[in-house]
Amino acid sequence: MTTNYTIKTLPDLEQVAPGRSGCDGCGAVMAARWISKITGQSTIMVNATGCMCVNYGYAGAPLHPYIHSLFENTGSILSGIDAGLRALGKRREVNLVGLAGDGGTVDIGFQSLSGAVERQHRFLYVCYDNEGYMNTGGQRSGATPYGSNTATTPVGSEQQGEGLSLLRRKNMVLVMAAHGIPYAATASIAYPLDFMNKVKKAIEIDGPTYLHVLAPCPTSWGFASEESVKIGKLAVETRFAPLYEVEQGKKIVLDRRRSKGTPIIEYLKAQKRFSHLLKPENQHRVDEIQSQIDESWRYLESLAQE
Amino acid sequence: MAKELLKGNVAIAEAAVRYGLEAYFGYPITPQTEMLEYLSKRMPELGRVFVQAESELGAVNMVYGAACTGARVMTSSSSPGISLMMEGLSYIAGTELPAVLVDVMRGGPGLGNIAPSQQDYNQITHGGGHGDYYPIVLAPASIQEAIDYIGLAFDLSEKYRSLAVLLIDGSLGQMMEPAELPEMQPVRAAYPHWAARGATGRGRIVHTSIYLNPIEQEKTNFRILSRWREVQANEVRFKEYYLDDAEYAIIAFGTAGRVALSAVRAARAAGIKVGLLRPITLAPFPGNAVRELAKRVQSLLVVEMNNGQMVDDVLANIHDQTPVEFYGRPGGNVPLADEILAEIERIVKGKLTLNGHPRDRWLDRMLTKS
Repeated sequence: MTTNYTIKTLPDLEQVAPGRSGCDGCGAVMAARWISKITGQSTIMVNATGCMCVNYGYAGAPLHPYIHSLFENTGSILSGIDAGLRALGKRREVNLVGLAGDGGTVDIGFQSLSGAVERQHRFLYVCYDNEGYMNTGGQRSGATPYGSNTATTPVGSEQQGEGLSLLRRKNMVLVMAAHGIPYAATASIAYPLDFMNKVKKAIEIDGPTYLHVLAPCPTSWGFASEESVKIGKLAVETRFAPLYEVEQGKKIVLDRRRSKGTPIIEYLKAQKRFSHLLKPENQHRVDEIQSQIDESWRYLESLAQE
Repeated sequence: MAKELLKGNVAIAEAAVRYGLEAYFGYPITPQTEMLEYLSKRMPELGRVFVQAESELGAVNMVYGAACTGARVMTSSSSPGISLMMEGLSYIAGTELPAVLVDVMRGGPGLGNIAPSQQDYNQITHGGGHGDYYPIVLAPASIQEAIDYIGLAFDLSEKYRSLAVLLIDGSLGQMMEPAELPEMQPVRAAYPHWAARGATGRGRIVHTSIYLNPIEQEKTNFRILSRWREVQANEVRFKEYYLDDAEYAIIAFGTAGRVALSAVRAARAAGIKVGLLRPITLAPFPGNAVRELAKRVQSLLVVEMNNGQMVDDVLANIHDQTPVEFYGRPGGNVPLADEILAEIERIVKGKLTLNGHPRDRWLDRMLTKS
């Protein structure tokens, strides 16, 4: 394995054209930029239906080969391209990347992704997790955190946003690691160098790899567009979205330094989707979220110790 | 109840609630998502069931499950999502369960766009899923009709143990116009005898579409077809405009029918004796009405927001006795009344033919124009 990039050794290459039609401060576009910076001009990207297919792919932003997939079949199309390239004897020349949102990954696309990694196709799959169906106006997904006010988990007399506990939300990195794949990790748009070195590590592996990237969404989470990186950092610091890597489904490396355990209220109060939780009568829900995060962290620590 | 300014998707959702919808299953897709969003709030308020599925495949099979219990059940989606539901719809039809589906059509094929279209006519009216089955398909042209026909869809689907589809396009789903909602009706107190609700004190209920013995399968196919003949005999619905003295007639449904009516009025003002037949039930298709109409006009013009799908059902019913022309705007475009008026004028002035397919003549004209 080659050495990690530093700020000074990062490639100059930029493969996201200006003029895309997405929202200001979109975390997912930052992710696409940093992925394709590393995967280079030999990238073929498969991009599922969602924010990025409309506001990035359709807008002509990717400057490398780009294939639009359905919502539910990114894994299948990646498998087909991998097999096709092998049939042509061209597999070594291409960095094959899947890019899909959380709806397209944890919900509707899960079956095809699971099949693709089980068959050991070679690709890097990146889930840009903006925690909901943002392209259709902000409905909940299987990745929406407890308490979020979304278009289909509204705050009203019968419910206070998303009701599913953080402890029961699908942990996609551990789910993918449980397939025994060579490399699965979380990353954040708030830590570009860490992100890009994870991309580098993943594409050097001859097999399926998975990156789960928290991609803050100013539009649907409710924060100013210049705060995407700040929100991303808070997510890591509060242990809401800790950074860790899992190799061969077993060896877990947890970034304890960046996740110093800032109280979760700092993260919640920075976003409108959680604003109802700040009311005094919802204090118990904030406490609940803190304890869910503490428990998740202890679980990750227990895995990292083995 | 008084008229209110209502958005199509919201009006359909609230009307379904008032007609006794007990369980809704859905998944986001533009341009129908407001139905999902509205019911996510409305159903829990009433203690009824709202579930956001993990995919359209999930949603339609939740409908299948809930229909087995006898609940009044519905899902909604838009073209690509409807395609994904097709296997489940075939199973619901093969198991002879009532269920209601709303398809808010958009432009395609593939992902296409989110603009209004009538591209799913063939898929919905002629099955879509595999096998011999026959959904009842209702095509409103206004928000008031959408409200009325969602109630009719529940009634017909339960009466005939059949799938009923409300087929609208993105413009009807997204636009607002004054309409009157029905009074809130109580949820049914009694459930059908076939509802699987536990076997305590009675025999077990089995819902299945598996008939490994082809003879048994054939009997089922005949039973489904016999029921469809009843639907064809009793449930054909259509609306007629200015047809009494018409020398020319347009056939169009939904939004295309609504625009065609404006063109008909403009043509009448110019002295052209043209009328409109607007099918409400696309299935069962008003074939007899079309056949009778064809006998007394010089020409028929079929207008659709697709490449010409219903036109084949028109042709199949009139047996080459009357010249047919076609005008369509596929891909998410809505024809303007002026475009249809120009077609009427062209037909009145031009030479009519029984040769060739009207779709071929239309495409040649469109390609020449662009």
